[in-house]
Amino acid sequence: MTHRWPKTLAIIAFLGTAILPNVSGIARAQSTRPTAIQMPTAISDQQYLTGSFALDRHLAGFEMPLASRGEFILSPSKGLVWQNLEPFPDTTIMTDQGIARKRDDGTYETIASGAQFHQFIALISAVLAGNWEPLSNQFTVTDKQTASDQTGADANSPDWQITLKPKNTNGLSEQISQITVMGAKFVTHVTLHKPSGDRDEITLTDQERHDLPMPDDLAKRFSGPHP
Amino acid sequence: MTERGGIGTGIGAGFWGMILLIMAGLGLWQITSGKSPIDGDVLSLIGMEQSGDGGQKSDIETVRDLLAQDANQAIVMLSHDQQDMLETMTRQLASDIANIPGTKSVSLPGYDTGNLARFSDFYLPHAQSLLSDRDRALLRDGNGEPVFQNAVKTLYAPAALISAKSLRADPFSLLPGFLSDLGRKFGHTGIIQSAASDAFHTPIIITLSPDLRHTGKDSAWVDAINAAIANAQSNPANQSDGFGIAKTGQIFFAVAEATAAKSDVQRIAIIATLGVFVMVLSVFFSPLPLIGALMTVGSGLIVGIAAVTLIFDSIHAIALVFGASLIGISVDYALHYLVLPADGSSPKSRIKTIRAGLSLGLLTSVLGFSVLAVSPTILLAQIAVYSIAGLIAAYLTVLFLLPLLPARAVQRRSFIPWIYQHLDGVLRHVQLPQMVRVICAACILIGFGLCMAFIPTDDDIRHLGRGNDTLTQQARLIGETMGMGGNPIFIRIDAPDNEARLQTGEAVQDALAPLIETGIVGSAFGLSDMIPSIKRQDENRALIRDQLYAPYAEKLRALLPVPFDAPDPKAPYVLADANAFDHLPELANLHDGTTDIIRLTAVTDADAVARAIAPINTARLVNPRATITAQFADYRGWAMAGLAIALLFAGVLAIVRYGVVAGICVLGTPAGAMLMALFGAAVMGVTINFFTIMALFLVFAIGADYVIFFSESQKHGQQDETRLAVFLSLISSILAFGLLASSSVPVVSAIGTVMAIGLLSAWVLSYVMCPSSSNADTIVDAHAP
Repeated sequence: MTHRWPKTLAIIAFLGTAILPNVSGIARAQSTRPTAIQMPTAISDQQYLTGSFALDRHLAGFEMPLASRGEFILSPSKGLVWQNLEPFPDTTIMTDQGIARKRDDGTYETIASGAQFHQFIALISAVLAGNWEPLSNQFTVTDKQTASDQTGADANSPDWQITLKPKNTNGLSEQISQITVMGAKFVTHVTLHKPSGDRDEITLTDQERHDLPMPDDLAKRFSGPHP
Repeated sequence: MTERGGIGTGIGAGFWGMILLIMAGLGLWQITSGKSPIDGDVLSLIGMEQSGDGGQKSDIETVRDLLAQDANQAIVMLSHDQQDMLETMTRQLASDIANIPGTKSVSLPGYDTGNLARFSDFYLPHAQSLLSDRDRALLRDGNGEPVFQNAVKTLYAPAALISAKSLRADPFSLLPGFLSDLGRKFGHTGIIQSAASDAFHTPIIITLSPDLRHTGKDSAWVDAINAAIANAQSNPANQSDGFGIAKTGQIFFAVAEATAAKSDVQRIAIIATLGVFVMVLSVFFSPLPLIGALMTVGSGLIVGIAAVTLIFDSIHAIALVFGASLIGISVDYALHYLVLPADGSSPKSRIKTIRAGLSLGLLTSVLGFSVLAVSPTILLAQIAVYSIAGLIAAYLTVLFLLPLLPARAVQRRSFIPWIYQHLDGVLRHVQLPQMVRVICAACILIGFGLCMAFIPTDDDIRHLGRGNDTLTQQARLIGETMGMGGNPIFIRIDAPDNEARLQTGEAVQDALAPLIETGIVGSAFGLSDMIPSIKRQDENRALIRDQLYAPYAEKLRALLPVPFDAPDPKAPYVLADANAFDHLPELANLHDGTTDIIRLTAVTDADAVARAIAPINTARLVNPRATITAQFADYRGWAMAGLAIALLFAGVLAIVRYGVVAGICVLGTPAGAMLMALFGAAVMGVTINFFTIMALFLVFAIGADYVIFFSESQKHGQQDETRLAVFLSLISSILAFGLLASSSVPVVSAIGTVMAIGLLSAWVLSYVMCPSSSNADTIVDAHAP
């Protein structure tokens, strides 16, 4: 029997979305697809990704979602900063040492700690490096080409869609029923379906790839209670 | 010349031979089929005989049950300075271990996703009765704002375990905090990074098949685990400065002890048997007496083992070692017959000559061991059954089978009889007046009684086994690194009422909190952590109602699309009922009848724990090591009382047979031998404990044989032959028990040391307390070449 921090599973679920820019790499490796489709390039350990997000959390039986907006920074070597700007400022920092929330007064609250969080960050890094094996261990990955590729429609329309289904051999299936990812050059949309019927819709925009080192103001956002 | 003892003897011999064959087959089948495996765990045989009053288990019973639960678990800790490599090699090794027959399941706390869904489903309906320690402290201080803020931010947090269902039941998202506490208290750590070395460590938790031990396959399982670990260690891909694998678990220690004990037994049995071979061959210059001695010794071992396997589920390694030492006693009987001169007499008449002495010797030993057979410990009972059955078998073999062998005369000019004659000549000059002998015997008996009452003892079980430095170091490493394994310590809470026990459990947790914070206790986990008391649940409800709902419900409703109601004061409590035990089988390990258990890990100062909970009347610290040590102290006391009773029986027999004066002198011999053994043990630094007292039983039995044979020889006139037989018996016993003293297992070595000193003393005292009749010797000497 194992009892774990409940946040752990949530992080797995969430990072299932965070790693999605790289999931396309999996799809590419697993299937043959038209060469015309634009796929994201893996982010190396010497790079990081910035962008904006909109998270609409749909609760089953209710029309209005819980909507939040903000910015994110993803670094394979450092982790992930998820900074809510609306409706409340709130920053969540996930590193391989755990998950922490930055309080309004600048101090940090450790929500979960432990070196085991490395595996989630490592999952991102592994996929960025083209090593999709860790992901395929936990998910069944299927992909399909979207209609926009065939019609040559709107340039912002997604070129591809990937579906991830947790394998029954792990506890993920108790929290996530399916993850759908769409994108073009970058991931643009993620839907996280939960067994309860709830779902999270995440839209990613304004994504940019940068080379390390980060500017100080960004690097500071990764600092938290963990060394 | 082949001599026959008549048709009656032949029938008896045939019948006894058939029984021996059946017993040999039975014993062999019982052991090889795993029906009566050899058990090397010192703890496995204790405490089973006890039952507490009114259905409440005694400490030792509870300790044994808890240790039995722990015995089904093993831990392998892997270390590496690269987390990626750590995960790869952990998963690979876990896979290898899972495939080993005898492994029930394998879990990886560092990588498994756990049982969160199951726990959430169970607790969610009761979410408004449950609070984490932090939230409760905040609300108790009237500071509900951080809890409310956390609830609001959780709604939008990226890693939030919320749903419409969870928010209806738990709008302030209090349950995740409670579950986090639960995981922390349970203490199964996932991945740890060492502050000193920066290396990462993660455990593999192995659950063993319940029947692994009973089927005798534990040794094979340990071998397979060691092979899997060796394979991982030899993999070049795993090599790094921080790489390492450590393991711990009762099964590793038990198998190591059993392997060492078995190895010692084989070595001792082989060398002792060879020694007897050489001795008998050199005395008789013929293999026939050797065959006779082997038949006697062999029948004793066979019947002893068969009797134990028939009566008990397993043979304890200590009983096996002790049983092997029966070689030293049973060979007495054979030699007593074999040294008798043939000189034309029939085997029947020769048997008749020694039958009284043999019977009295056997009776004395059987009476002594019978006291053990009715003792409260199964280990003692095993030794008693082994000894009684083995000695009776040896006795019957001498009576029925040895007469079938042609007699062979002692070669008086060979080396051993030559040595004997010189030593015998010296000792026979020790002729004390009868009154002096009686006074000496009386002094010995009084001295022995005082010695038994006041001799310093040490029953600490840590000093019994050989120990295994490597395993001990690895267990310490895992304990220090992960707070897992190690010497289990627990707190038991006794009360007839569930609620009272749960409240006590919460009070204990409060008392332990400072110790956990300072690292004196790694973790503490009990039933009240999973099922809070109704009082605690009521407190939580009141805090949630007054400090959260009252001030913040409207604010939350404005943000939350999910309707929710005020806490229902009549909502059902979470209870330790059948439903809870169905959903949470983990509870079974924390509760038994009217006793709840709080398990502690990585305790560095048990006294501090005892002090912390001292004000809580119904809770007390139970340290299995101390409990078992106390149990062995009780056993020792029982064995000492048994020895006194056996001595009393022997005294009555001796007085009935030889009269008061001679009887006291006869009794003074085994008593003096035991006194000398205790004195010698003290001088040599041998610990006096339950097992050394058990060795005194052997000294008593053999010493009684010696002096009884001496005394009886004065009646039948074969004094010189008897003294030679006793001398030869002494050599064989010293061979066997001297080798026991060389054992790597401390308790076995102590037994051997006590035995060797005691037997030598018994031999000398037999001369002193039972001086030879010069007339009889003159007659016997006339037969000498």
